[in-house]
Amino acid sequence: MSRVEIERIGKHESAPTRAWMIGLAGWLVPGLGHLLQGRWVRALLLAATVWLCFLSGLWMGGHLFSVGGSEQGLSALLQFPPMIANLGSGILYIVSWLFGVGFADDPAHAARATFEYGNTFLLVAGLLNYLGMLDAFDIAAGRKA
Amino acid sequence: MRHFLVMTAFAVMAAVVFGTVAKDTPRDRLTYGLKVFLEFMAIGLLLSWVLYFLPF
Repeated sequence: MSRVEIERIGKHESAPTRAWMIGLAGWLVPGLGHLLQGRWVRALLLAATVWLCFLSGLWMGGHLFSVGGSEQGLSALLQFPPMIANLGSGILYIVSWLFGVGFADDPAHAARATFEYGNTFLLVAGLLNYLGMLDAFDIAAGRKA
Repeated sequence: MRHFLVMTAFAVMAAVVFGTVAKDTPRDRLTYGLKVFLEFMAIGLLLSWVLYFLPF
């Protein structure tokens, strides 16, 4: 095997690892995946949007979902899909979980007029960040410009 | 009025991300983002009027 082929294979194999790391960074900190690749305009737009969406959701009294609360059986299982969506916000979800912000099951809290809006904004913040993460991964893997 | 503002904010945020991750050129991204925004607004208003006439 020639040196050129070894280098080509080495490059080919190292690209996915880098892409995974970029994707992970993009998930953990919204916009970081693009920032690490020098796409600072896209990074700024994604970060600003995800942060704004998440903080608006919290401000409107939205609820963050987690598995392992007081729910049992099917009710606990139903918490799983929205938790996956919320988890897309990366560090925003983790910090909120550490400080217990947005996780309270309070009927008075749920009675707020903007409660459902807040829920939707929190869910969508995570889903939008998943899109940004996949875009950063694709750019790093050379699938798009 | 608050409902409309929330819907508009939602449409703007979704359109910004959709426009950012889709297409290849800045012009195409801007066009696509605007199109997504208008679609969100139009469908939202249409659905709100349809639901307004439903008796339940």
